[in-house]
Amino acid sequence: MISQEIYKYFADFVFKKTGIFYPEKDFYRLDSRINTMMKEFRCDTPDDLYQMFLTKKTEQMERFLIDICTNNETYFFRDNKPFDALVNDIIPQLQEIYPNQTIQMWSCASSTGQEPLSIMMSLKEKFGDSLNFSLKATDISSKALKKATDGVYSNLDVQRGLPVQLLVKYFESVENSQWKVKSELSKHVSYSSFNLLTDIFERNKFHVVFCRNVLIYQNPENKQEILSNIYHALKPGGFLVMGAGESLIGTNIQLEQKSLSGCMVFQRPKE
Amino acid sequence: MKVLLVDDSNSIAMVVGQMLQDLGHEVVRAKDGKDAIAKVNENSDIGVVLLDWNMPEMDGLEFLEYNQKNKILSCPIIMMTTENKPEKIVKALQNGASEYIMKPFTQDILVSKIDTVVKG
Repeated sequence: MISQEIYKYFADFVFKKTGIFYPEKDFYRLDSRINTMMKEFRCDTPDDLYQMFLTKKTEQMERFLIDICTNNETYFFRDNKPFDALVNDIIPQLQEIYPNQTIQMWSCASSTGQEPLSIMMSLKEKFGDSLNFSLKATDISSKALKKATDGVYSNLDVQRGLPVQLLVKYFESVENSQWKVKSELSKHVSYSSFNLLTDIFERNKFHVVFCRNVLIYQNPENKQEILSNIYHALKPGGFLVMGAGESLIGTNIQLEQKSLSGCMVFQRPKE
Repeated sequence: MKVLLVDDSNSIAMVVGQMLQDLGHEVVRAKDGKDAIAKVNENSDIGVVLLDWNMPEMDGLEFLEYNQKNKILSCPIIMMTTENKPEKIVKALQNGASEYIMKPFTQDILVSKIDTVVKG
């Protein structure tokens, strides 16, 4: 039995660290996380775990909790349309606004790497080596970043969303029925840790920001703040790509909504 | 949609056949490539083929080669096999396979691979 006090403590902790909000009616969603932590830190009861956090919490314990609370569910070419919009519409439009510039992109919740690699494969397939670009990929979860940086995926991972033609082109088979992304793809991606709530955003830096399926977990205040920071991180004329069904509703962010290749995207006004 | 499931393993055929039926497909089973040719002749409305590699009489690759030569099928063919080396995958693609499922797999993978090849 988990007491309201313990639920509240962990809900507050997760909210402060990640912005992920567990209202009281959803406290039960913390049950499996609390159980996982009890096993990891060898506590017999939720109260033991709570006391451990109160009295001798370590950075490792904090990282573990963040890892198990952030939703790392992802797969290659998730929703497809954003990747079509990127290569068919967004990049050509940016090339008109910023001719001969290196296209700077940011996947700001890159999880275990499937999104940045899908971006890379889309660009490679469409433009070959003729496009100059760089891709920064960040996530709050150290566990997810480790997997992304290693670039090693299971047989099941590579069968989720990734056409087999691209699998054999951009991945090599390694031991234990796993697949490692080839360096020709991974060399263009730089992975690092970033907390959308607490870290400082670069300004006027990116032509394209992917921030998909992140803001749905945030409360309205955090959503406003993150979107405002992304607005300023974009260059004028730059594009924000959000998840299917996500919108600017409830914020006062002045990005222009556009439908490109069947995908809703948001453009910072050109100056 | 009618799915031709070509696999010599009764247990695989049972599990995958059940998955396909749960998804609303009609399943025609063949136990190897030779049997698959006979089933194609009996069923002109096959929408997709799931094809194992290692089978007696005629294996999956030989069936692909036979189909390339004789054009008995125009629908997509998905390899479904434990053969997961890149060179094997490339060989299957070169011989007319549209997609590739590596065993073991889950139902969501089966659904998305069929969706991908059927929708083109």
